[in-house]
Amino acid sequence: MTELAKPASSGAQASRSRSFAWRLSQYILLQAVIAMFCIIALSHPLADPPSGYLVTAFMLNDRGATRAVTLPDFVPSRLSMNDPALYSARFNWTRNEAAGAWSVYVPRFTNGIEIAVNGVDILDSRRDPSANRPDRDTPEIAVIPTELLRDGANDLVIKLYVWGPISGFLDHPFVGPDEVLRPYYERRTLLFVTLPTVFSAWQGILAVILIVLWAVRRHEPAYGALAAAMALGAAQAFLLAAVDQPRHPKLNAILIASTPLESGLVLAFAILFFIRRWPRYAYLIFVPSAVLALVGLFGDLDTFRAVYLFVGIPAATLNLLLLAFVAGWSELRRQDVPSLLLGCAVTIVLTCLAHDLLEVLQILPDRRVFFARLSYSAMLVAIGAGLTWRFARALNRVDGFAAHLVIQLREAEEKLKASFAREQEQARAVALARERTRLMRDLHDGLGGQLVSIVALSERGEAGAPVGDAARAALKDLRTVIDSLDDIGGDLMLALGSWRERAAAQLRPHDIAMDWKVSPPGLPVHPELRPWHVIQIVRLLDEAVTNAVKHAEASRITVSVKTLTDASGGACGSITVADDGKGFALAADGGAIDARAAARGLRNMKSRAARCGAALDLNSGPGGTSVTLTLPRRFPESDAVAG
Amino acid sequence: MTAAADEISSRDITILLVEDDPPTCLRLRDALASAGFQVTAAMTLGEARASLAQAPPRVLLTDLQLPDGHGVELIRETRQRFPETEIMVVSILGDEESVISAITVGATGYILKDAFPTDIAATVRELVAGHSPISASIARFIVRRTQASAEPPPGPPLNTTKLTPREIDILWGIAKGFSYAEIASHLGMSRQTVPGHIKSIYRKLEVHTRGEAVFEALQQGLIKL
Repeated sequence: MTELAKPASSGAQASRSRSFAWRLSQYILLQAVIAMFCIIALSHPLADPPSGYLVTAFMLNDRGATRAVTLPDFVPSRLSMNDPALYSARFNWTRNEAAGAWSVYVPRFTNGIEIAVNGVDILDSRRDPSANRPDRDTPEIAVIPTELLRDGANDLVIKLYVWGPISGFLDHPFVGPDEVLRPYYERRTLLFVTLPTVFSAWQGILAVILIVLWAVRRHEPAYGALAAAMALGAAQAFLLAAVDQPRHPKLNAILIASTPLESGLVLAFAILFFIRRWPRYAYLIFVPSAVLALVGLFGDLDTFRAVYLFVGIPAATLNLLLLAFVAGWSELRRQDVPSLLLGCAVTIVLTCLAHDLLEVLQILPDRRVFFARLSYSAMLVAIGAGLTWRFARALNRVDGFAAHLVIQLREAEEKLKASFAREQEQARAVALARERTRLMRDLHDGLGGQLVSIVALSERGEAGAPVGDAARAALKDLRTVIDSLDDIGGDLMLALGSWRERAAAQLRPHDIAMDWKVSPPGLPVHPELRPWHVIQIVRLLDEAVTNAVKHAEASRITVSVKTLTDASGGACGSITVADDGKGFALAADGGAIDARAAARGLRNMKSRAARCGAALDLNSGPGGTSVTLTLPRRFPESDAVAG
Repeated sequence: MTAAADEISSRDITILLVEDDPPTCLRLRDALASAGFQVTAAMTLGEARASLAQAPPRVLLTDLQLPDGHGVELIRETRQRFPETEIMVVSILGDEESVISAITVGATGYILKDAFPTDIAATVRELVAGHSPISASIARFIVRRTQASAEPPPGPPLNTTKLTPREIDILWGIAKGFSYAEIASHLGMSRQTVPGHIKSIYRKLEVHTRGEAVFEALQQGLIKL
């Protein structure tokens, strides 16, 4: 590296790391804002019915001991299912025909409740599969049959069943008119039961889409991992109801405890999708879920619950943290929409998970309202949106590629056409040259030799002079014809070069000097120039020279060659043959024969110029005659102009 | 035509003229003799060889189509046996077919059969002075052979690889009809040196040895290794 290059390179490096730091701080700030919004939303208490219907003073009978408690209350986790904590209380009811039915509304409990009013059971939550899931904040409401109610004090008994792994919890119940309590129940149901179901359905659809995607694109295992995660999530939400609990308790338990596996699969997807590399140690992701499955299959239910609590949940949390890291890394590196969406979604899930864990650890006031499962839907939305974005972009790229292909194809076609035309042109030129060679040999052996003999013979007697001239003219024309058949590659200057020689030889006996003025760059090159154009131009120039020799009594002929540039920037060649003779008009006055010959010569020249698409301009005066031939910008392809 | 050419006396110059057409032969002999050259005329290849055996001429002027052979053979023989002899081909059309094939065997000029007598004498004098004539069409043929081409164009074979860029420039000027003076001023050289360059070009186009002939044949694709 040179001394000069060093500071520039280190400067670029510094600016790169500066921009990286800037992007990193931006990203972290965005995630902090999102987490802040989540915390504000989570700290907002859920609406409860009027406190007038609240029942808080209960007698708790648990494990043989009886004490007074104020709900909400916790009872320790226990091993037996048939050892509920018994909460009893009293509420007042007044018979009023106008008033509707009364209900008991329990906003939150873990894990199961049985409600009895005046000794009669009116609700058993254990028959509601979604209520049995402690991670879902399922509320319960039970209408109290009016026949059960007594004027005045009524007994309310709530049996709380606890089956771990977390402690039992019972929120304060409300007892009051059904029409007052039910809207609050419905609101909670919508939020904690219906919405997760909708998202689970969405997860199922996502699973199907991803399975199809993976089946078609086997080389992208990322889609396979995500499909497995989505299918697992959907299965644990819906299959739970279908699986008969008593018959397959172990399968059921494993399914419920599949969160570490699901999060592990999502993490695997993120690694494959964003990092595009699968490190071998990444298989460690699946160790906790394998341990859980083994314990679920071979261990007892309580060990399983403990393992889930102490291995499964931390593993899922770790997976989420790694996921946040992968998404953030990808966003900083690539700055694309899917990584940003996933990164934000993971932040939301992590915030909610942290809230739930703090609640369980009783660091936050514990109302046992868990949001982690609900917030998982944010991730599902992010995954769906990210994949759609990817798909749309791929489509755009395909469109662009197709357009690019079309352009390339057209270019190739044009190239091919041009090369074909060139080849044809070459073949034509070769054929012409061969024909010319043959013609030349024939003329050399026959006509040419005979003409030379005529010239030689005619020079021996005075009377033969005109014959000799005629024979010499015939030889000259023969050379003109052969010469114009030669391939000059469109450069008319090459034809003019030979013509100059012949014209000079013709002028020498007459003592007429020839001036040759070429203004650089001479004449433009015309690839379309054909031998028949050349012969017309050369003969036209011959005619102009012959006129000067025969009729003008000139002593000097000037040939000027130049390129004219017209107003539109096009270039066309111009050839002028000027003599210092007595001029045309004088000749016309001088003799009728001369005038007729001149007129015929002029007509000939005009017709030759027209056939080549050239313009002929003739000026004649006492100072001499000048013939200017302005060549076309492009020579006509056919001789049709001749008429 | 130039002062340099006049320095050599015409009487010291012997010419062997080989032409089978009697009127043309007579015409050329008259034109040369009246300019003061010592002319020996031959009608056939045999006569020409006999004459050469007696005394080599200063200049050999020969037609190509002879009753008992081709002029090219005579040129090659003369070139090998008498390198001092200047050789010119007598051509009807001045075409590259005859002129180039004569140049490749050692000719350094050409004369048109119907040229005016004064021009004929002047051309011979110039040749003796070391100035070879060249026509625009011959120059054109040579320069077009210097350009790359996929397949060899028809016409006599020609190896132009020895020509220098300057020589090719001169040939381009001649092909486009510029006079020696115009070419000289354009290329920044003396007018007098241009004819010498022409002769040098002709010499470079000559095929000297058997090895070169093989190279030539390879160039033309006649021999496949």
